[in-house]
Amino acid sequence: MANGSIKGKALAYVLVMLLLAAITVVIGLLIKDITYRGYYLTLTLGGIVLFTSVIYAISIKLKSSEDVKGIATSAIQALWVSTSMGLGYIVTANAPYFQIPQAYAIALFAIGWVMLLFGLYSLLKLSKESGVPLAV
Amino acid sequence: MPANEETKGKDVFGDFATLVVPEEHTKSTLNIFMIYMGVLAVVAAIFAGSGLAQMYDAATMLKVAFIGNLILAIYGGLIAYVGGSTRANTYMILRYPLGRLGSLIGNLIVSAIPLVVWFAVETWLFGLTVNVIYPDNPLTSIAAASIWGGLLMMVTAYYGFRAMAILSYITVPFWYTLVVIGFFASVDLAGGFDKVWAARPEVIAPLGVGITYVVGLYASGSVITSDVARYGKKPWSGAIAWAVHVTIFMTALLFAGGVMTLLTNSPNVIVAIAQIGLGVGALLLAILGQWTTNDNNLWSAALAWINTTGKLNKRVWVVILGVIGTLIAGLWAGLWGMSLEPFINFAVYLGYFIPPVGAVIIADYYVFRPLVLGLKDPKERYKFGPGTKYPLVNVPGVVAVAAGGAIAWYTQQIGWGAPVINGIVSAFVVYLALIVLMEKLGISWGVGEWVESSTGF
Repeated sequence: MANGSIKGKALAYVLVMLLLAAITVVIGLLIKDITYRGYYLTLTLGGIVLFTSVIYAISIKLKSSEDVKGIATSAIQALWVSTSMGLGYIVTANAPYFQIPQAYAIALFAIGWVMLLFGLYSLLKLSKESGVPLAV
Repeated sequence: MPANEETKGKDVFGDFATLVVPEEHTKSTLNIFMIYMGVLAVVAAIFAGSGLAQMYDAATMLKVAFIGNLILAIYGGLIAYVGGSTRANTYMILRYPLGRLGSLIGNLIVSAIPLVVWFAVETWLFGLTVNVIYPDNPLTSIAAASIWGGLLMMVTAYYGFRAMAILSYITVPFWYTLVVIGFFASVDLAGGFDKVWAARPEVIAPLGVGITYVVGLYASGSVITSDVARYGKKPWSGAIAWAVHVTIFMTALLFAGGVMTLLTNSPNVIVAIAQIGLGVGALLLAILGQWTTNDNNLWSAALAWINTTGKLNKRVWVVILGVIGTLIAGLWAGLWGMSLEPFINFAVYLGYFIPPVGAVIIADYYVFRPLVLGLKDPKERYKFGPGTKYPLVNVPGVVAVAAGGAIAWYTQQIGWGAPVINGIVSAFVVYLALIVLMEKLGISWGVGEWVESSTGF
């Protein structure tokens, strides 16, 4: 596989997670006036993914395309955090405590599943193509 | 390249149980950090915070937890550096300060026996927690949950360091985030932070009592930091990862448990999370937290048994010890309802001797070898590999551990000072006093000789 392709893929995977996290934060802003608990939840989980993804995306962008190991290592580390936070959305979105309106809760729940499954897929794919172990 | 690399042997036991970790198998500092965080990610760490809540208000708890954990960071960090620098596990390192035969006894005291007991206790606690959350299902009875929980924990330990790291990567961010959410939710429901800062027990204990309590919580765990730190890419990877995780995150967990106790009289974050409607989250928190801690207990115990017997490989030991621990948890405690007290008492008794082992490692590696034997290069102080000669018994080391353990036990009985710290300081002083004196007087401090075989045993 071409080195440039690994860099592009790694960056794309991290940016997809960034986009999904941004959507959850937007949902949080929409429900801010209805439930401050739900708002803080999205700010916490989404914020962690946003922060991690931005830092690692910059780190990947600055790496040479030849540095396959370095690129994959950064991307895998970022994807582990995002995947783990996806699990966080799955278990928290529908909890009564957060008082999130059902339509928004379902959206967060679904995004959590997408983050978890996409995260696992991209982790396995990147690890296989770059030779960098998942336990990086 | 470390000097030890030149003398690699055959990894017949798995996970380099008796060999130094080769360069190509080393891991990033982040990886080491995640493993330590996985070990810490256990509900018992939050429960321990309730002990502080009996003694202090929230602000003092934070101060006491931070100072205690700073001491643990230094103590465990110094030992982790020995592992990172030599790329050897605890049981190999002990061959120098205790001698080859002495290290066999050291292995039994430090890991081989107590970690199997703790594996059983944690597995039973796992069954208990699952049963509290889902009481009305045959699969979630204490006995059944202990058995399937024990089997889960055996899986990652069976596959070794890499599997444990993968589990930690998926678990750690989720676990800590959910604990933070549970903590804030229970504070929110109990009346907010104003109530936290105002709450206090009737009598405030002296700071030293709490600091000693905190050090005692993790002093034994600090001694085996090398088992993970030896995989570090840099010699300091493990030391830094250990210090950061214990100072920041152990402090935070103790504080969370303490505050929850002050507010609700219960540190049970799992129950708090279940109460806010996060049943699945609470279950995952219990499963994943206990899993990442207990697989490490089992893995370290297996390494210790290999280094004690020189027989069977890591996977076989994981299965043997895992089945014993699971049966104790599932049948003895879970099904027959018998108390785990005898096992726990025995492990606690052995626990008096564990921190002195760490003190002897520190005294030998950082004081005796560089300052008395003149081995200034850290990588030259301990060498391993086929053909390496070790004394059978390092007499001052064995005497110092016995003395330190006895002093810790005795001062606990009479209630004098801080037993854990008494044991550490005594062992450190006794070891240096004896070995330096013997070296200066030309008396041999090492008795007999053991030559390492091609398998590293």
